[in-house]
Amino acid sequence: MTSTALEPPAVGEPAPRRRQATRQKLTAHRRKEALTFYLFISPWVIGFVVFLLGPMLFSIYLSFTEWDSFTAPVWVGLDNYITLLTDDPIFMKVMGNTAYYSLISVPLGMVVSLFIANLLNKKVRFRKLFRTLVYLPHLIPIVAVALIFQMVFAPEAGPLNQALALIGIDGPNWLMDASWVKPALILMSLWQAGGGTILLLAGMNGIPKELYEAAEIDGASGFRQFWSVTFPQLTPVIFFNLIMGIIGSFQVFAQVFILTGGGPDNASQMAVPMLFDEAFRFYHMGYGSAIAWILFVVIMAFTALAFATSGRWVFYESEVRQ
Amino acid sequence: MGAVGAAAGLAACGGGSSSAGGVPESDEDHTSFVMTVWGGEEDKNAYQARIDLAKEKFPDYDITLQLIPSENYEQKVQTMISSKTGPDIMQVAENVNVYASKKQLVPIDELLAEAGLDLEETFGPVGANYTWDGATYGVPDRSGAMVLYYNKDLFDEAGVDYPSADWDWDDFLEAAKALTDPDKGQFGYGGVGWWPQWFSLVAQNGGNVLDPETGAPGVNSPEAVEALQFAHDLYFTHEVAPTEVDYSNMGPEMGADGAFQQGLVAMNSTGFWAVGGNAAIEGLNWDIAPFFHGAQSAVSAFGSALVIPTAAKNPKGSFEIIQFLTSLEGQTPIADKGQDVPANLELQGSDAFLDPDWLEADVNLQAFPDSADMIFTPKFIPEWNEMQKAIDDAMAAFWLGDADAQTTADDLQGRLERIIKPSE
Repeated sequence: MTSTALEPPAVGEPAPRRRQATRQKLTAHRRKEALTFYLFISPWVIGFVVFLLGPMLFSIYLSFTEWDSFTAPVWVGLDNYITLLTDDPIFMKVMGNTAYYSLISVPLGMVVSLFIANLLNKKVRFRKLFRTLVYLPHLIPIVAVALIFQMVFAPEAGPLNQALALIGIDGPNWLMDASWVKPALILMSLWQAGGGTILLLAGMNGIPKELYEAAEIDGASGFRQFWSVTFPQLTPVIFFNLIMGIIGSFQVFAQVFILTGGGPDNASQMAVPMLFDEAFRFYHMGYGSAIAWILFVVIMAFTALAFATSGRWVFYESEVRQ
Repeated sequence: MGAVGAAAGLAACGGGSSSAGGVPESDEDHTSFVMTVWGGEEDKNAYQARIDLAKEKFPDYDITLQLIPSENYEQKVQTMISSKTGPDIMQVAENVNVYASKKQLVPIDELLAEAGLDLEETFGPVGANYTWDGATYGVPDRSGAMVLYYNKDLFDEAGVDYPSADWDWDDFLEAAKALTDPDKGQFGYGGVGWWPQWFSLVAQNGGNVLDPETGAPGVNSPEAVEALQFAHDLYFTHEVAPTEVDYSNMGPEMGADGAFQQGLVAMNSTGFWAVGGNAAIEGLNWDIAPFFHGAQSAVSAFGSALVIPTAAKNPKGSFEIIQFLTSLEGQTPIADKGQDVPANLELQGSDAFLDPDWLEADVNLQAFPDSADMIFTPKFIPEWNEMQKAIDDAMAAFWLGDADAQTTADDLQGRLERIIKPSE
């Protein structure tokens, strides 16, 4: 991603088409090269097939069975899926929670990390120190983060509500109030937005200075420069953050598991903690597998949606638009 | 070696399920045993000491202790059993019938009869805990009633008599009120939000969260609702117990046990483990008494049993070891090392338990044997974990004062009926 940004800007010239390679006869050298390729890729291919593809296929099968993990699986056809989608008291709520969390925390996280990256790209004193500080939360294990936020969110003694009290707001019981627990988890996710910031900063460093000089000569304001130069040049990084954010946030687990356990009354229960409960605490392996596959489809759908719209807003320097 | 183990496991498993209710064939040449237990370092020491005694008793047997951290125990054992590498002896608690109902445990009635071991005589009412569908599966190993811890200094300050087994709900409530001082942030009682606590209140009032015979839920019976109302009033009418909100304001991970140690609650009902914790607190002047009673006497207990998985290669050998480990001699290290309350009643009443070397403080450990007769045990249904989740979910608003007892009980009853398939 950053390497494409390092190439000189394409100015009007059509990009060279390299995909004209016709079928070539495999020379001895090329055959050897291919062999080396397969040799070196094989650990990962084998690893994928054995540790990922195998279990995935098995879990598809399991999702059509009722299996307590002790006695033999019983084939139930689509029953698990039908129950989940029509008759489960919490599944829809859980998927709703997961979508709520994802659809708010991801865009918000992207805005915050872009904002911070833009600030840290300015020539300020202690810039390196600030950059380190911004990334630091990303390095703390999520378990520790959860314990810290347990204190932060404490109803009266917590620093967050004490700060709110200073400006006359009576803060909620964040983690115990059904309508505030999801915003609390989102707030916590923002604290770790530093991971995206680092990628954006790297992307910003790759933007050619000439573009800013040209913009300045044209009389563009700081904001205009950001909006017309920085932002378009960063869209590949932002797109990457978006895709990773969608995938990661739909699979949110540790925060929920440690901080709320899904409570109160499933107000913060998410898809992965629910499937963990079903499969490993309630001994419904088949049901848990079905949840996993529904989640997989949902994540794929959102990712596909992001890719489908990316043509309209993601700008790669090597390509030229008419 | 793995393949051999797997084949043997399959064979043993097949034998167990075909002869329903019987003891599978024992391979008496198989003399190495794996025993899985949960816990931390202290538990490991106590179990290892007991296994060392067992090795002296059975020099031919090679017994390996496998200690698994509590939070991973069920998943780990589940994985071991389903990959046919299950243990030969296994510790179980409320989860016993997850395994028994799926034919993963050896019924031991025949073995008990052969050995002449009467569980209820040796262990009291908890002897009948580990049964399913008319068969016995576990020998009780640890069993300590929930007791009432109290802070003597706070009682003396408030001029309240120390608690005793004679206390009923009114005596208790009166004391709790006198011991509550909002100005000091001090509460009379740690609360009843945890299932062993409010299940006890329901049982004391003549109700049953789970039917003792079938396991069918009955949490919205008038007796149960009345008990829940009493619990609710402790928090929101009399305000003698800290709510979850109060606890989270006291500090992270704060609960009744921690608040008791800091002198923020004057009474707390919990298990044996708090004895060691409290004894380590400098300047904390405390003691224990049996839990109070309602219309009836009833108190939850915390315990575990030892069982034999069907995949065990030498069930007879496993049983011999279990029989020894649960005998007076085999359980003595539990008392000596202050790990827990041994289930064996004779040992509970002996000086080894009541006046141990590890405890300097003068604590009335007699409260544990005194409570043994009051112990009630909810039916250990196979859906135990799901039930716990349903309880947490349905009662979240109740413990915060946002829902009343009847509505909560009706809601919970509906959720439990959906989960629990009562046995015949």
